[in-house]
Amino acid sequence: MAASLELPSLLGITIRRSFVVGRISLLIGGGMVVFYSAAFGLGGPLFVSVGTVVLPIFAISGGLGGALVFTNDRTKGVLEYLVAYGLSSRRILFNALVAGLVQVSIILGAGVAAGVTTYLLSGYALTPRLPEILLVYTFPMSYLTVSLMTTVGVFWTSLSSPRAGMNSPLGVLPMIGVVPTAAALVLALALGAYASQVLLGTELVVLVIVVSLLSRTDRLMPAERLLSPG
Amino acid sequence: MPSLVGGSREHDSATLTCQTVHSGYRNKPVLHAVSFSIDEPSVYVVLGPNGAGKTTLFRTIAGILRPTSGEVLIDGVPIGRQTARDQLHYLSHMDGIPDGLTVKESLDFYARVERATPADVERVLDQLQIREFSGTFISQLSSGQRKRVSIARVFLRERKIYLLDEPTSNLDPKIAREIRSLILELSKDRIVLYSSHNLFEAHEIGQYVIALKAGALTLFDRMQNVRAAHFVIGVRTLEPAALLADWERSGEYYIRELSGPELVPSLIRDLEAQGVRLREVREMENPLEDLFT
Repeated sequence: MAASLELPSLLGITIRRSFVVGRISLLIGGGMVVFYSAAFGLGGPLFVSVGTVVLPIFAISGGLGGALVFTNDRTKGVLEYLVAYGLSSRRILFNALVAGLVQVSIILGAGVAAGVTTYLLSGYALTPRLPEILLVYTFPMSYLTVSLMTTVGVFWTSLSSPRAGMNSPLGVLPMIGVVPTAAALVLALALGAYASQVLLGTELVVLVIVVSLLSRTDRLMPAERLLSPG
Repeated sequence: MPSLVGGSREHDSATLTCQTVHSGYRNKPVLHAVSFSIDEPSVYVVLGPNGAGKTTLFRTIAGILRPTSGEVLIDGVPIGRQTARDQLHYLSHMDGIPDGLTVKESLDFYARVERATPADVERVLDQLQIREFSGTFISQLSSGQRKRVSIARVFLRERKIYLLDEPTSNLDPKIAREIRSLILELSKDRIVLYSSHNLFEAHEIGQYVIALKAGALTLFDRMQNVRAAHFVIGVRTLEPAALLADWERSGEYYIRELSGPELVPSLIRDLEAQGVRLREVREMENPLEDLFT
């Protein structure tokens, strides 16, 4: 028997398809991020203190593309095909995760660019606080919540039959991303002096949950779970 | 274990072996001790009533479902290993076509998985007659057109074993016939396991029958050895035949049950000797129907 050829990762095409399949959520999420960033930028310091903090909440809804590709592929029998040719559950989840992260990167990039542009055009000078909060909170929190949303969405979808509407996994997914972010913000406001610690602590908790779920992929999502319920 | 290993034809085929395979889904066992071994290139039709385990058998052979006990081997290598998987093509009853792509892009997607070349994609566009809508998005195709795109992927690259789960469902008769011709051509030097609910199609294309019932293998034999419990023939004549007035009728046919096909020649001789002008004599019941009872 001939030696096995290495399977392609299909990462590139998954990312590309996430833009087509998730174009509506991308447009809505991206549009909201750009609009609110630009609006907060006009307010000068408000962009730094509030805009950067609420940015992840809006960015999350634009990062659904990876989970959408997964759900779509499962329903259509594409995952069954890929598994038969040797692609692992782990690889399939990884591709969905990276696709979601690429989308949220683009949304955040556009949002920050819009906010900084209006901020500068309004006559305000940049302070070191802006890159600090972007790097410590806005970007990591967005990436982590999209990772949580995609991972939970993929596991949840693989356990359920397709349902339409708000009670389907996809309908609830944005809430899974928004809840920890919003909870962290409320807690940070309540514990003003410890706001940074609260936000960093929340990031750490989300990171632990995501890593813990990812490390159990093979057990939580055997190939059988990737078969179309149809 | 039923075995058709060691056919007389010269070939470069693989050996597919199911060794006492028990398989199914979580909390739902479906296959029970299914055993057979195949190495002769041919079309093996897999038949059985709904829920008999045909799709589960295909998914288990394809390595998607792991047997709870027993083994699926290809050339002696467990299907869990990539070298064994690389010998197989699997076409599920679902289309398995990614959304958000055109026909050509879908084939490029499959080609990437199959490690096929752009030239292979161009070839199957013509082979499956789908070039005319190669730039159309999958969502805009009819179910028959989607099925053709889905089938195209198994022709991108040659493999030794083909698992085709209802490949001609949703296809119009002309395209279905062309697909069957391609599959028959393929089966000259490849093993094809083929499931279908169309018994006439199964009878036409299959050289062997693998029958399942309630997850167990009930028959594994050459098609020519499968006989109906009741052998019924229909006779159509050029003009109404008074001599056959006491025969049952079914449409244009005069119907009679015989004890076996060996009696057909003498019956024809008798009828002609009595002046009945025959237009057609055919077996009215498909022997495969009995596999569904």
